Amino acid sequence: MKKSTFLGSALLLAFASLLSACNQTNSGPNATTTANPSAGAVSSNSIPIGIALAQTSNVALLGQEGIQGAKIAEKYFNDKGGINGTPIRLVVQDTGGEEAGAINAFQTLITQNQVVGIVGPTLSQQAFSAGPIAERAKVPVIGASNTAKGVPEIGDYVARVSAPVAIVAPNSIKAALKINPKIEKVAVFYAQNDAFSKSETETFQQTVKDQKLDLVTVQKFQTTDTDFQTQATNAINAKPDLIVISGLAADGGNLVRQLRELGYKGIIIGGNGFNTSNIFAVCKALCDGVLVAQAYSPEHPNEVNKVFRTTYVNQYKKEPPQFSAQAFTAVQVYVEALKALDQKSKVTAMPLPQLRTELNKQILAGKYDTPLGEIAFTPVGDVIQNDFYVAQLKVDKDGNNGKFAFLK
Amino acid sequence: MAEFLANYGFLIVSMVLGALLGLSLYLPLMTGQLSLASPGFYALGGYIAAILSTQVFKVSGGLFPIGLVLLEMLIAGVVSGILGVVVGIPALRLRGIYLAIATIAFVEILRILSLNLDITGGAVGIFGIPQPFQTPLEYLWIALPLLIVSMVILYRLERIRVGRAFTAIREDELAAGAMGIDPTYYKVLAFTLGAILAGVVGALSAHFLNTWNARQGTFDASIVYLTSVLIGGTRTFVGPVLGGMVFTALPEVLRAIADTAGLPLWLAQFLRDGRLIIFGLLIVLGTIFFPQGLVTPDLLKRQRHK
Repeated sequence: MKKSTFLGSALLLAFASLLSACNQTNSGPNATTTANPSAGAVSSNSIPIGIALAQTSNVALLGQEGIQGAKIAEKYFNDKGGINGTPIRLVVQDTGGEEAGAINAFQTLITQNQVVGIVGPTLSQQAFSAGPIAERAKVPVIGASNTAKGVPEIGDYVARVSAPVAIVAPNSIKAALKINPKIEKVAVFYAQNDAFSKSETETFQQTVKDQKLDLVTVQKFQTTDTDFQTQATNAINAKPDLIVISGLAADGGNLVRQLRELGYKGIIIGGNGFNTSNIFAVCKALCDGVLVAQAYSPEHPNEVNKVFRTTYVNQYKKEPPQFSAQAFTAVQVYVEALKALDQKSKVTAMPLPQLRTELNKQILAGKYDTPLGEIAFTPVGDVIQNDFYVAQLKVDKDGNNGKFAFLK
Repeated sequence: MAEFLANYGFLIVSMVLGALLGLSLYLPLMTGQLSLASPGFYALGGYIAAILSTQVFKVSGGLFPIGLVLLEMLIAGVVSGILGVVVGIPALRLRGIYLAIATIAFVEILRILSLNLDITGGAVGIFGIPQPFQTPLEYLWIALPLLIVSMVILYRLERIRVGRAFTAIREDELAAGAMGIDPTYYKVLAFTLGAILAGVVGALSAHFLNTWNARQGTFDASIVYLTSVLIGGTRTFVGPVLGGMVFTALPEVLRAIADTAGLPLWLAQFLRDGRLIIFGLLIVLGTIFFPQGLVTPDLLKRQRHK
């Protein structure tokens, strides 16, 4: 008996180390920059920028997309000479999906890794928790995937490059009206246990009212649900011409599938949760034609996006997702602000607290040409972005290949 | 030292709060009742503090008065206590796995309520909770005395008539009833004490985490705390305290070890990304090699006789 338990644990251990080995190979040529605990103030050989995103837990998918983008940015800007000759160095700490994890990651980055600023965390709820920590320590934070209302308002040091839902979401309804001007009745679905979907659906519902459309039903579901027959039937009975869904990829995709299977033929709009290629695996050919508003298009014509897109496609064999582009942008904002600061006075010579404060001022003052297009910041730190897009999911008949086709 | 405290201040307080939550789960376990309701009361206490501090006690500028935090903790404790009695009387007619299911349902009800009510902010929750202290470490001023007081009370409780009655019910409810112990009374008492403690801890945690939402105190959290109590030990209050602390700290300790200089890259990477795998592995090994938990009364006795 004893022997078998030992055997079991040995097996588990072997399995665990195998898993870690997989992680290794996946990280590709851009191997993680290991955190350097002994880093004092900003040393002359590299400038540390903290990345606090989820690598574990159920939001890890989003966090990992962010880290991919940030790593591409690290290599790209270092190849271009870093901060006037000094390379940047990303220090990655996992936040997990919890508030406490985000605070711990921020704390480690601020006091132990001595970073000049932080990109993250993954969720808006985590931002509400960890943002005040950075605010008190006077360390600039740029959110790359926080879209809830109130995030930049956490404090002077908290900004974001992820446009809030209130600005992005209405575009897809306008696009749907362009495709079919006869739309009158709209049914709305949302995941009530997801903070993002909750605030997104409020925007959608407001837009529906503003466009003088008839909101026939609002159906709630949970991100953990797999069966949507009741809600789908209820909605279809109200005979909508348009269905708007705010949910995540797994639940939202299944909902689309079940709506189509129950015979709904009209246009479907997905929220930002659909903004990942993982959606194709869930609903296959049935999600063909779904509209999604985006804050990023891989086809954005500027120079930096072309390089970013090519690098991403070469490395991961698919188009870069929005979260990767936003994380890239966040790192780019740091790099360009540091460069601008460096021209006034050498950043490597500045004491860390002063550098952090000056950097924060510089971030908010600057204008940046990024993969997201030209951006700047409002005084509270919210992003000012000009270009938004609406994409339509295009999937093969057999459901194996899907892509986001951008509408003009 | 100062640097260490600045680094790990948040974690140290989290550990104390973890120990307190462990104790709140341990109280019903003293009477042999496997209740998973503690996280529900924890969430409730947090919402009470979050709503009171952001909407009722409006303090402009500066730090939030500590007195008000204590008042919130008191209110949270009282409300949790009352709800504990109300839920406890019907729920504790169930036993073992059925009680566990009923308490999970209770936690779910609270979660769904908080998702649907306007006052709790729906899924986004409540943010911008004012801070009574400058640094996270200073929360120890409240958390540590709370832990010490709870431990002293539990130390006494295990040695007076009430505690003996709890143990008697845990060992054999029928026999205890035959000896004139009213099982329902004592079971509800233990359950309610656990509820009060969880509510009070929740109120403090809401301030500590800056934000409060429906993801706090879910079913997952129940399982984590139950694990920490079971691994720590269920026969003496030292076990949950130790278990709560160790299991709160473990993911962060692994993160710190991963950052140690000189480790091979793959090991550091594994410690960082595979933290939760190691966490799970320790739980499996713990239950195999320490079925009674790490701290058992025998162990404490042996220490004393040395």
